[in-house]
Amino acid sequence: MGNIERIKRIKRAKLNGEYYFQSLLEQAYEIGMLSDAEIERIQLDCLSLLARQTELYNKGNSSSVRLETAQNILASIMFTIGVWLKTFPNSDDAVAEMQHSSMESLFQKGCRRIDQLMKSTKMLHSAILENLVYTENIFYSSTIVDGINGFFKLYNPFFSAQEIHITADYPVYNPTEKLAGIEFIQKYLECIYCENLFCSYFSEDDIHHLICGYDAHYKDLVINIYEPVLAAAIGCVLTETNIHRLDITPSSIKIINCLFERKAKHEITEILMEACNQLAQRMHLSNPLTQYIKCSLPQFAGSIKNAVHLQTLDKFFLVPAYPENNPKLIVSFGEKMDNEKYRKIVEEIMQCRYLSDKKAIIKREIHSLYDLEDVLLDAELSEEETISILRDLSLAEITALIKKHPLPSTLDRYELKQSEATLCRCLHELIALLPAEQQEMVKRAVAVGQCVICWE
Amino acid sequence: MALELTVLNTSLVQKQSVNEILKCNEVTVNFGLVLTEKQALALVETRLFALKENGRIEFSGGVINKIIYEFCNSFYLSMHNYEKALHELLEIFYYYKNETLDLISDDDLIKNMKTAFDGVCQGSFELLAGRELDKLARNLRYGYSLDHEDDMSTEEENDDG
Repeated sequence: MGNIERIKRIKRAKLNGEYYFQSLLEQAYEIGMLSDAEIERIQLDCLSLLARQTELYNKGNSSSVRLETAQNILASIMFTIGVWLKTFPNSDDAVAEMQHSSMESLFQKGCRRIDQLMKSTKMLHSAILENLVYTENIFYSSTIVDGINGFFKLYNPFFSAQEIHITADYPVYNPTEKLAGIEFIQKYLECIYCENLFCSYFSEDDIHHLICGYDAHYKDLVINIYEPVLAAAIGCVLTETNIHRLDITPSSIKIINCLFERKAKHEITEILMEACNQLAQRMHLSNPLTQYIKCSLPQFAGSIKNAVHLQTLDKFFLVPAYPENNPKLIVSFGEKMDNEKYRKIVEEIMQCRYLSDKKAIIKREIHSLYDLEDVLLDAELSEEETISILRDLSLAEITALIKKHPLPSTLDRYELKQSEATLCRCLHELIALLPAEQQEMVKRAVAVGQCVICWE
Repeated sequence: MALELTVLNTSLVQKQSVNEILKCNEVTVNFGLVLTEKQALALVETRLFALKENGRIEFSGGVINKIIYEFCNSFYLSMHNYEKALHELLEIFYYYKNETLDLISDDDLIKNMKTAFDGVCQGSFELLAGRELDKLARNLRYGYSLDHEDDMSTEEENDDG
């Protein structure tokens, strides 16, 4: 005979992790484990608990509270009782406990359990802080360091045990059940701990370059760091390249694509499971960490299947990028000339009848990009004249001006002066006239760029 | 299965409150003030109404007794207006519990109400609710002392002058 398992009347899966006590009451009442009288007794017990907690909340100064406050305190009481009831692996036993014990005693046990959870979660948080992944991503540290510290400062297990207070912006990869209060924070930190532990097997530089392959400006993005790292590590296992360097290349992606092409999700999961076992073996990963990674794989398989279908596997298995190696265009706009002298030059240009005279004055008198920009805006030049003057500039100078005068959105267009709008239009018309290769260069330089070479 | 907070408004709780109010008669009779059972029941209903109107909930016997004991020696209360006054005071009390953001205890609010009612308001509920307690609530919200007088009235006088 194998193991004999007790029949469970209440299915744990049907219970709500966030409102455990309420959902347990509902389920137990539905299947007849709790009678009307028992439900009434439990409700009255909870209300007397609420009356006592409210008095404590008011410190005896007030006999009444706002309804929202009372609802919050009641939610806290039910959450606390739920925390205790969750300690019963079999939900039927939890119902029996409700039948035989007063809500007061369950509440006290729940309070003690929350206290233990607080202590263990604080220890877990300290351990995480000692081994943070160094990353430029602002959401990572603002959530894991500042956010969690803020939670411990604000958390009041006595009157609002179900509150989280923070928004936990940094996402964890594995899906978690809906939880509240300290239970949520504990589960969240457990996930962060595992993800950090996995990332600690790789160098910070490699992780940085890998995520740069997704977006060089990832510091402002709400992204999970563990996901691309695990994807790259599994990619390295599948293509038999150096796991420790997360060295995915475009040719690796082609191999991976061939491997997963026309595969069903369960087949992809199987391949990933095998790769995960190899990864654990090669990197000597601990058992809990391997389990955490295995929990990530079904979600991984779904993403890979979609990526293969959409031909976007390079967005999932990232190829490291090195933005620091990109050539930069650095331009100096030079110095502005004396105002009086500038005014005289602009007046002289405006009095000229022919474009050739205007250009001659500009060539003779203007020696910095700043002054040229001002002349283009102030000298009341026609579009043809502006384009003709711009044609004499180098590509770097045009790029610098485009960087400073990007094509405005429809809304911004109304806020520009007429001369500014004309200059923008002329610059973009000029770019459109350039060969495609040069257009691409300008676009890239503008995207990366600061400003350019010396004018004088 | 949600626990309804309104379950508290049961007849049992009402009966208990009525008995507590009637007990106050033992003291108030010395000032010529007595409530009948019907009047006490009406007061309990007003309390429930005021609580509901102001989005509040009360678990213990409530403040009716406290208000009765504090106001029973007021010069401005007699048998003719006693019940009506208590209804007014109850509504004012719960309204200003919210307006003061619960920054003042029940006892202190009732004491301030009594001082103002017998003093500057000279028995006027309009002045008590519309001016004195409004001032008190504003002072509490802005963190001033309870007797702080802002100079709005002086400015108005200057403008007129």
